Amino acid sequence: MFEWLDYAFMIRALTATTVLSFSVAPVGAFLVLRRLSLAGEAMAHAIVPGIVIAFVVAGLSVASMIVGGLTAGIAVAALTSLLARMTIIREDASLASLYLIALALGIFILSAAGSAVPLKSFLFGSILGIDDETLILIGATATITLVSFALILRPLITHTIDPVFHESQTKRPGLVTQWFMFLVVLNLLGAFKALGTLMAVGLMILPATAARYWVSTITGYLIVTFAFALLSCWIGLIVSFYLPDVPSGPAIVLIAAVFFVISLIFAPQGFHAGLRLNPFRRRMGAGKQTTLKEGETIHEEAR
Amino acid sequence: MPRSHLLSAVGLTLGYRDVTIVKDVAFRLAPGDVLAVVGQNGAGKSTLIKTLLGALPPQGGALHWPDGQPQTIAYLGQRTEFESRFPIRVRDLAAMGAWSGLGFLGRVDEDCRTRIETALERTGIAGIADMPLHKLSAGQLQRALFARTMVQDAPLILLDEPFTAVDQTTEAALLSLIDSWAAEGRAVILVLHDLSAVLQHCTAALLLGGGRALFGSPKEILTPDNLVSFGYLSHSQAAWMAGMYRQAAVPHV
Repeated sequence: MFEWLDYAFMIRALTATTVLSFSVAPVGAFLVLRRLSLAGEAMAHAIVPGIVIAFVVAGLSVASMIVGGLTAGIAVAALTSLLARMTIIREDASLASLYLIALALGIFILSAAGSAVPLKSFLFGSILGIDDETLILIGATATITLVSFALILRPLITHTIDPVFHESQTKRPGLVTQWFMFLVVLNLLGAFKALGTLMAVGLMILPATAARYWVSTITGYLIVTFAFALLSCWIGLIVSFYLPDVPSGPAIVLIAAVFFVISLIFAPQGFHAGLRLNPFRRRMGAGKQTTLKEGETIHEEAR
Repeated sequence: MPRSHLLSAVGLTLGYRDVTIVKDVAFRLAPGDVLAVVGQNGAGKSTLIKTLLGALPPQGGALHWPDGQPQTIAYLGQRTEFESRFPIRVRDLAAMGAWSGLGFLGRVDEDCRTRIETALERTGIAGIADMPLHKLSAGQLQRALFARTMVQDAPLILLDEPFTAVDQTTEAALLSLIDSWAAEGRAVILVLHDLSAVLQHCTAALLLGGGRALFGSPKEILTPDNLVSFGYLSHSQAAWMAGMYRQAAVPHV
């Protein structure tokens, strides 16, 4: 029953995804909390052309991939935030415009260069063929991510909850946001070889959304997100081991989807809580509450 | 030498980038003062707050801090960008007021914890300290944000329209809290639209409008005539207000 443990490629894949789970969990959690889930998806597409260009110019290696991907990702992120601050278009629409341009440019260059790059492997990855370079990349990504979170967790929380308050406290209010977007790109690259860019976002977002249904404190949230990511990876890899025709990337994301659906139905803040959620409370400051409701909430909690 | 005042502004010109909003702003603030900033939308109220926080440089004139600019200036802004679904408890939201003083890795110590619990008590939300944010009413959330402001423990407190979405009871409770801050020797600057609150609770007022500024005691400067000339009230509103003044026998100059 544990014969998959006898295979070196499985051990490598399990190690890689375990380390990766430590890294993508906090990043995914804050993508969800900062309402950037779709921005993460867009960013995954935005870095693909950077990698394609790096490949056409320098050949496919981890180093050229990092340089190309980071350049494209940071350029798109920086331009997005510049456009959002300097023009009337908001961040989401700016990002959508830029990533579409970047993606089209990448595919255009790839086709024009007449290369036989398997675009499919860009999108879906190959977790069963993780080489030493990729393991080192994932290890480095996780190290940088976890050290960064230890340092920026408080400002990141403050900025996420109340950006206006955060700006009052720091001379460089944009720094936390920029560093977080750098971590997003870095983690997309770390997960890129293992899961492909499409699946990488799945491993970031689904465990994070599933976990949000269970917990109401940030510490608990990060821990549950990590647990879901890790279990998705392990179970997904084993499923993929026994069903060799199923690629591991989609298998992992589908297991994450199972956690999501279970959480949605059974968790305290899932469906049945949703029925009680006051639609006017979506954004605070709507001012629709009355003193009566205030009393009720306290009463509910007291019971 | 006794401390005469905390902050004074002389000939301040406020604006951002190449837009000038208001010229020749002058005021003086001592510990224990409560200064109301009153003005129509776009008169420069928020710009003034941002300038005091150091987020915007003044375009002209100067801010003088006789004892040096305080290390912490407590600030409570408007809630337009507030994310109330973040998974965090009321107590931790209040604790955020202490975070910037902790550096990167500092722990919340005993002293700090006492400050947080005291703030929760005084804002009347100690009973719901473990509730997650998304369950709070607008009034409860504003009390929690006042607790965070208290935890900042600053000599100068800036409040930008702090009563926008709260009911009268909560507003009254928060106003008496502001009175108690002043009694502790803290200076408070608040942007406020409730003129009766200004007259009752503020020691000074700064009227902004049409690029001009007027500073003085609330009863001296918040006259119907001034409010009309600074574009804050229409003639009919001012006439109604003058009637109220006469009824309440509040002397106005």
